Amino acid sequence: MKIVVQLAVVAAAIAAGLWLWTSVFSSPQHVIRARLKEMARDASFSDSQSIQDGYAAAQTVGDFFSTNVEITLNVPGSPGRTLNGREQIVRTLINLQESVNRLKVDFPDLNVTVAPDRDSATADLTLRAQVDGVRDSVAEEMKVTLKKIGGQWLITHIETVPVLT
Amino acid sequence: MPLNPDHPQANPLPPNANGPGSRSRLSIFLIGRNWKFTLVRAVIWGIATIIIFPHLLVRVQVVGPSMLPTCPEYSKHWINRCAYLWHEPQRGDIVAIRLAGIHEMLLKRIVALPGESIAFSDGRILINGTVLSEPYETNSCDWEQSPVALTNGEYYVVGDNRTMPAQDHYHGICSRARIIGRLLK
Repeated sequence: MKIVVQLAVVAAAIAAGLWLWTSVFSSPQHVIRARLKEMARDASFSDSQSIQDGYAAAQTVGDFFSTNVEITLNVPGSPGRTLNGREQIVRTLINLQESVNRLKVDFPDLNVTVAPDRDSATADLTLRAQVDGVRDSVAEEMKVTLKKIGGQWLITHIETVPVLT
Repeated sequence: MPLNPDHPQANPLPPNANGPGSRSRLSIFLIGRNWKFTLVRAVIWGIATIIIFPHLLVRVQVVGPSMLPTCPEYSKHWINRCAYLWHEPQRGDIVAIRLAGIHEMLLKRIVALPGESIAFSDGRILINGTVLSEPYETNSCDWEQSPVALTNGEYYVVGDNRTMPAQDHYHGICSRARIIGRLLK
């Protein structure tokens, strides 16, 4: 029994140490991952959300982007589309809230690489979106470029990555 | 002759062999002779399984009609991640193709290998100008596509369901690095 207790104590100590380390000394990768996941949560909405809350959430999503952000979408089977600037992203999200009842966005795979200057980074991620009324979710690989502006990691560019060429 | 209790013949059964406190064979089989070590072993095996298993096999559910009739929609399958440890992917293999990771993947069939040229003519696949015999079941089509040459590390993948127009069916060249394993049948 003694050895089991000792092993449990060692495992708990390691887990607590890791948690403390990552909490106190958050790496840029950790911060970026957390921000992108937070953005996915804010971009998601359901029909139980009020219009005011929806607008507020859309504005919050806009805060994750730089003012001159560019998003280039090339989804197979659909015409390509480009979004320019934070305002257009917020407007697009508000339009989406008005046209569909529910949207769930998440990033099931998210790989962050920070540049040596530690002021820019890229995230290679899988975007999964489930829209109300559409049976299957949509999944696309995206390359997200971020820059540290005013002490915050902001998205400056997003483009779809073709899996098959 | 006096009986010696320490002599095996004099005392052939161990003390408390069937008495109170003795453990059944089933109990020993299930828990082991020392439950504490069994627990430690179980924890170690559990952790090892959680860590190792995803590197060997991945469970997938088919979403979409691309691989009909071979893989019906919402059918569940296993992907063998070790399939290409000793040899490279082969023509006819159904492979899982990763996106940014393995939580969302494409499931397609390899029809052309590195160094080959592939074209579609009246729905038939031409490899280096020769019609490809496809022994597996596919839905026919009338696709037309001019020849595409594959370089090293490039495979051409397509789904078995080709009833839709070519532009509505996601198919094309896939790099070797994206192929994570073969569908287990």
